[in-house]
Amino acid sequence: MEKELLEGQVRLVNEVIRKGICVRCGACVGLCPYFQYHDGKVVVADRCEAGTWRCIQICPRIPYERASLYEHFYQIKEQPQVLGPYKRIIAARSAEMQIRDVAQYGGVVTALILFAIENGMINWAVLTDRGESLAPRGLLCNSREQIIACSGSRYTASAALQEVNLAIKSGKQGIGFVGLPCQMEALSRLALSEPEGRERFSSIALRVGIFCTWALDWRRLRSYLEAKGLTGIAKKYDIPPPPSEIFVVETQDAKMELPLSEIRKIIQPGCKFCEDMTAEFADISVGTLEGEEGWNTVILRTDKGVELFDRAVQAGMLEEKQLPASNLDHLKEAASNKRKKALQAREEGEDG
Amino acid sequence: MDKVSTTEGGKRMLLQANEAIARGALEAGIIFAAGYPGNPSSEIIETLAKASHDLPIYVEWSVNEKVALEAAAGASFAGCRAICSMKQNGVNVVSDFLTNLSLSGTKGGIVLVSCDDPGGISSTNEEDARAFAPLSDIPLLEPSSPQEALDMTRWAFDLSEAIGNIVMIRSVSRLSHSRSDVVVGGLPDFTARPYFDTQVPFHTFPIITKHQARHEKLKAAEDLFEKSSFNYYRGAQRPELLVIGSGCAVDYALDAIQTMNLWERVGVLKLGTTWPIPRRLLLKHLQKCQHILFVEDVDPFIETHVKAFAAERAQELGLKVFHGKGSDELPSCGELRPAQLLDFFGNYFNLSWGAENFTNKVETLINGRIPPREFGFCPGCPHRGSFYAIKTALAWDDRDGFVSGDIGCYSMAIWPTGFNQLKSVHAMGSGLGIACGYGKLENFGFEQPVITVCGDSTFYHAALPALVNARFNNADILLVVLDNSATAMTGFQPHPGTGKTAMGEPTQPVDVVAICKSMGLDVYVGDPYEMKQTAEKLYELMQQRGPRVMVLRRKCALVQGREGGFPYGMHVDQDLCIGEECGCGRYCTRIFRCPGLIWDKEKKKAVIDQVICVGCGICAEICPQGAIKKELK
Amino acid sequence: MEINTIITGVGGQGNVLASQILGNAAVHKGFHVSIGETFGLSQRGGAVMSHVRLFREPKYSPLIPPNMAHIIVGLEPLEALRITREFANPETLFIVNSRPIHPLNVIAGDVDYPDVRWIRNVLEQCGSKLYWLEGTQIAIDLGGPIMLNMLMLGALCAIEMFPLEVRDIKAVLGETFPKSKLEMNYKALDMGKELIRNHEN
Repeated sequence: MEKELLEGQVRLVNEVIRKGICVRCGACVGLCPYFQYHDGKVVVADRCEAGTWRCIQICPRIPYERASLYEHFYQIKEQPQVLGPYKRIIAARSAEMQIRDVAQYGGVVTALILFAIENGMINWAVLTDRGESLAPRGLLCNSREQIIACSGSRYTASAALQEVNLAIKSGKQGIGFVGLPCQMEALSRLALSEPEGRERFSSIALRVGIFCTWALDWRRLRSYLEAKGLTGIAKKYDIPPPPSEIFVVETQDAKMELPLSEIRKIIQPGCKFCEDMTAEFADISVGTLEGEEGWNTVILRTDKGVELFDRAVQAGMLEEKQLPASNLDHLKEAASNKRKKALQAREEGEDG
Repeated sequence: MDKVSTTEGGKRMLLQANEAIARGALEAGIIFAAGYPGNPSSEIIETLAKASHDLPIYVEWSVNEKVALEAAAGASFAGCRAICSMKQNGVNVVSDFLTNLSLSGTKGGIVLVSCDDPGGISSTNEEDARAFAPLSDIPLLEPSSPQEALDMTRWAFDLSEAIGNIVMIRSVSRLSHSRSDVVVGGLPDFTARPYFDTQVPFHTFPIITKHQARHEKLKAAEDLFEKSSFNYYRGAQRPELLVIGSGCAVDYALDAIQTMNLWERVGVLKLGTTWPIPRRLLLKHLQKCQHILFVEDVDPFIETHVKAFAAERAQELGLKVFHGKGSDELPSCGELRPAQLLDFFGNYFNLSWGAENFTNKVETLINGRIPPREFGFCPGCPHRGSFYAIKTALAWDDRDGFVSGDIGCYSMAIWPTGFNQLKSVHAMGSGLGIACGYGKLENFGFEQPVITVCGDSTFYHAALPALVNARFNNADILLVVLDNSATAMTGFQPHPGTGKTAMGEPTQPVDVVAICKSMGLDVYVGDPYEMKQTAEKLYELMQQRGPRVMVLRRKCALVQGREGGFPYGMHVDQDLCIGEECGCGRYCTRIFRCPGLIWDKEKKKAVIDQVICVGCGICAEICPQGAIKKELK
Repeated sequence: MEINTIITGVGGQGNVLASQILGNAAVHKGFHVSIGETFGLSQRGGAVMSHVRLFREPKYSPLIPPNMAHIIVGLEPLEALRITREFANPETLFIVNSRPIHPLNVIAGDVDYPDVRWIRNVLEQCGSKLYWLEGTQIAIDLGGPIMLNMLMLGALCAIEMFPLEVRDIKAVLGETFPKSKLEMNYKALDMGKELIRNHEN
């Protein structure tokens, strides 16, 4: 990192927060008291006057040489394939019905985390809770009940990295993290940050990324749903595969279908600058398997990821099968589109 | 046994002017006293309350000044002598009743004491309450010393009964809080027997007739003033300059004339009866010379009225040259100080004064290195916790929300001690009144959440009608009542919620929560020491509509200090503290700013000041490194 | 004849009470007294200043005119320095407690509290004499920081120019303090006097 790029909290406030492009990854929260996350938003609680600034080194909306991350984590020199570096790509699902019932698709993430904890590969997992009257937030888990309770897609950001920062600060080791591509990038930048970035990152034992095209602004989503007459806490969200253009919200007593075109207006503005759909900086990345309800697409990127996955399969936690070629093509196309749009949005000068 | 109520007549004792006013009232035989706390007036009722343990009198802290004057008037209508005291803002509050009372007239001697605060040392404004004397056509007396304060107060009741109307006495902070040796008079037998003569009602009708009668009363007072020893002249028989003034300002003028040896050239007409100004006396002295200087606090009150009089009598008086606030030769704002009078005389008579060599030397030595002393909440103050929670909740909400403020210790939240949260402070209860305005702007696109704060005493004084208004008009207001069980800023006087009266008797407390509930409002009670929980609740309430109330309840730290103190011993773990580094940036001392937390510049660590810290323990929550430790003592 | 003394400090140090006790003692001894105070909001961390004027003739004047203070008693060093330019003169005698009470803005790091040794140095150059006393620690040993005001009163009475003695203060203390507190306060007064004696030697 070139030090002359660093300018302090002021830069984060002016270039990210005030511009409204914060994606609520939570990387800057929990490092200090000045940024706080509450109910779906990262806010500036006070102004900081400290001498060095971790926050601007790790914020995914502050420009960064991506190449240095590829080099550090994958030892490669240039931009790899459109899905990022990986060793294997496969389809899988949880072997346990109980998990598949609460999961969004195949329950692979939940199963992997459960397996990792139960076998001592990680001591803790930072996941995202369901959110009730308040937006989802990160949750430090180590029990089966907690982990299963965090299953399911959120469609909104949760600033879960806050909990990772707090866990590291309190001296916890062997932390596993499940997060969105922006969060995986921020976590990776933590490893290269000064001071003590390497030291802090050494507490992380497992990184599981989730595919993501965009995330919604929680507060605006809540207002929108209230205006549509939806009372009660949302229990599940879903976007059925094309050609249906709807967004489904389920509460205790109701199920509402809303036009995706209206929902797209509630996407976080910051998401348009994100080029990573499949969470390239992770041990394992997991997403939907289009066309096959109840299955996940799984990308194994590192040796650690491969080892965890294979052991889970051997132990009977996961079922795997080959990924159909058309799915792979579709995925590459979607990832490539996201990258193109992001680079274009940055060029149009709205990014830093 | 209290010295004010027990000292025999003829004795000389050290008295504060406010105590002297109380003594004067006792010597006049008052049996009723009411007021509302307000600096610099509070000691008057406090002294009388103490006296009530020795003497058969009744003293109360009323819920506000208007009710206080009304109650005192009740005693007067029943033929008893009564006194009512307040600060300048209180006179604004009583003005509607006062202008009617002076029309209906009174029976038992009744005196209104206004203690003004020139310079606004402990006020939200600077105001000259003397304006209410001509407005209500009532006599006005201004003491210039604690002795005079006693003598005038005693006499004012005779005057009030002689003319059948209320009399106003006006003091200022400098006088009220000063002490001097005073010779007291004797105390009477307190033989008042209240009786309302139903043959003699107290109407203001017919208005014109009553108004004319009021003017007659004033004329009668003026006649008495012509002979009053509260007015006197000192100095040259044929002065080059005549000084006319009242109050402490006259004392400084006398001092300056003495210092500069000007008694041959200057004369001073000291006025103690300043409305109506006795015109024959005035005429006599105005004839002495052409140049007139006016010295008084705060407004050019005497100045303006004398100028008008001089204009009326121009044929006899000839051309006059007036000096004072109108000529910009004395400042028109702030408290008049000795240096300003020395400056004036120096310029006028072309004399030098002062120790310029010395002051220049000191200024050079000091070279601007003396920092100002910022006001702040005491260590352990619950308001610190309340405003920290409010600041946090408003930040989380992120819609440019703000706080509408009111009067009390918590008014200091306009400053860094309360994180600069208050964006407006006006009169008692105004915080909620203004919020009723914001609360109806949503339909015009107003989206900023507004939190209103008011103290427990303020709630009873003036916020109640505004709360009824909010309920009635369904305004979007979020009221946070800061209940520290005290009227703290003015000195811990009891109020309707504290369960005790001014005279120390137990009474049924008036419960803020019950009142709100009776209006159909949901009320949440929280603890300002639990800052995170309070912030979460406030955030939740900010997302709702309509009138909402939260009560944050925790005793004032100074009261708690007297009632057993706090449970914790605090220290900062020097190994865990990272000070200025990223991750903290001196958060506790720079942002939280409790006087018990100090920044050690050498060690570059935060440290607890064990002399100042009281051990409330709430700072332990805010350290990002968990370095602030609390242990049960 | 007049003796003008200023007692200055920070809200909460008890300087108003000290001035009251002083005034009371002076009245008992036959002086005419004028005490002017600035307080109110001051309790909340602000400065408090008492002007204590002793006269032989009857006189009331609550504020000491510019540069006419004979003695300045500072319960807090910065506050003593703050009023020097306006009220002191080359003959002024200073009795100052050495321990700072940091203003909030200093604690927060917005401004610096000047080095106490610099304050001492400037005061020494301003008046005729400076008694620089380690008052706070002694007060704490006597029972708590609140004993400082009585300690300083004792010191004031030890000054020759000042017309009251410690015994004059002791004579009126019963009007202010309950019996149980008298011993403690007598001790503080005596200690203050000691401090001045020791300073001279």
